Amino acid sequence: MAVVWLRDCDSVGAKTRTFFRPHIHNRGRIDIGRGVRLNSNWAPLELVTGPRGAIEIADGVYINYGTLISAQERVRIGANVMVGNYSIIADTDIPGIAEPAGAPTVEARPVEIGDGAWLAARVTVLPGARIGAGAVIAAGSVVAGEIPAGAVAGGIPARVLRQSAAPDESSMTGPARGEAGAR
Amino acid sequence: MSLTRRVHDVRTAWWLRGCECADAATRLHGRPSINFEGGRIIVGRRCAIGSVPVTSHFVAGPDATLDIGDDVIIGHGAAIAAYERVEIGRGTQIAPFAIIMDTNFHGGSGDQSVHHDCRPVVIGSDCRIGSRVTITRGVTIGDGAEVLAGSVVSSSVPAGACAGGARARLLGRAGDPAVRWEGTAAMVPLLIMDAFTLTGVPDRDAAMTDIPGWTTGRLEELSSAIARQFGARVPPARLAAARNVSEIIDIVEGDRRGGGAR
Repeated sequence: MAVVWLRDCDSVGAKTRTFFRPHIHNRGRIDIGRGVRLNSNWAPLELVTGPRGAIEIADGVYINYGTLISAQERVRIGANVMVGNYSIIADTDIPGIAEPAGAPTVEARPVEIGDGAWLAARVTVLPGARIGAGAVIAAGSVVAGEIPAGAVAGGIPARVLRQSAAPDESSMTGPARGEAGAR
Repeated sequence: MSLTRRVHDVRTAWWLRGCECADAATRLHGRPSINFEGGRIIVGRRCAIGSVPVTSHFVAGPDATLDIGDDVIIGHGAAIAAYERVEIGRGTQIAPFAIIMDTNFHGGSGDQSVHHDCRPVVIGSDCRIGSRVTITRGVTIGDGAEVLAGSVVSSSVPAGACAGGARARLLGRAGDPAVRWEGTAAMVPLLIMDAFTLTGVPDRDAAMTDIPGWTTGRLEELSSAIARQFGARVPPARLAAARNVSEIIDIVEGDRRGGGAR
């Protein structure tokens, strides 16, 4: 079904699977990598791009249900990232609804999520946020600004709670997560 | 008028039936849930209301008025309930998962056991309400004010101000980059709270000497937290010289600016 349900995306990699039907509103560009799993059970997942927006979802990403990813400029989700349910990842403050024709263009600040990061449930990623590779974001957090690679961060706004001793281990180069992505 | 546009208008009119809509230019993104329990719901011109991926719902209790002004944008997953009066001014933008109610209790329709002690909620024009914001009863938000994502607003926010936190504190002027969540004005008091394990967020003008443990080795912790968050190296000795929270914000902000210029 992934082929049918993701037909509005510009590219979809091999072995990418959808669970129930996601909402795709693509007026810009959406690229989805290989082995991506998109869950839309209980609440659909939604991918929205504006005319100049681009969403890039790299290989091996898992996104849980009810999540909204919206780009008026650019949202990049790195390889093997996991995103919990009801999260919001957007590069504008009021995401998801197409701007009315003739309205002033909304200010967008690109969002980047590094390889192997893990976002727990109900995480809000604000415009301009950059989450480093292998970082872990606690449930319910609001992420603004930069979260360093390998950090464990949480809260509103998310602060670094713990800096992983060896950031390399938790990133995608680590054996466990690397294998999951190769599947 | 194209066929799709006409279908869209008919569908919008059907989904908003019973509401007092000024025109058909309102755009619905998915179907909202609208409950009339005897009140009025007014939807202004050119509004946009999202209900995808999560349904937004609107409730107007007996004799209540839910008044949504022109050009208002409401993201998905909103829960807006009026049991007396909720007003949203023109041009206000509300991000996903907002909860706005003028009562503490969201009763089911026809539930006579529920006694609503209502205090009206008034949101001014051109406000920006962030994602997952909860606005409790009796709150007035002034024109052009901003509420940062994840906040719980339980007291009024003056016009042009920016508030954030649970419960929301005044952080500065709306639109100032320093009062975004990632800015020093919002973040530094929280880092102080974490480092000194305080039970609440210290005010900007709170004297550092009033903070328990201020003279102990916790300053090291605060210094390293600031380094982790902002990449600014502020030695504990410089922090120890600060008299209040506001001065620490200035020190960190100054260091960041200096670091950026290098």
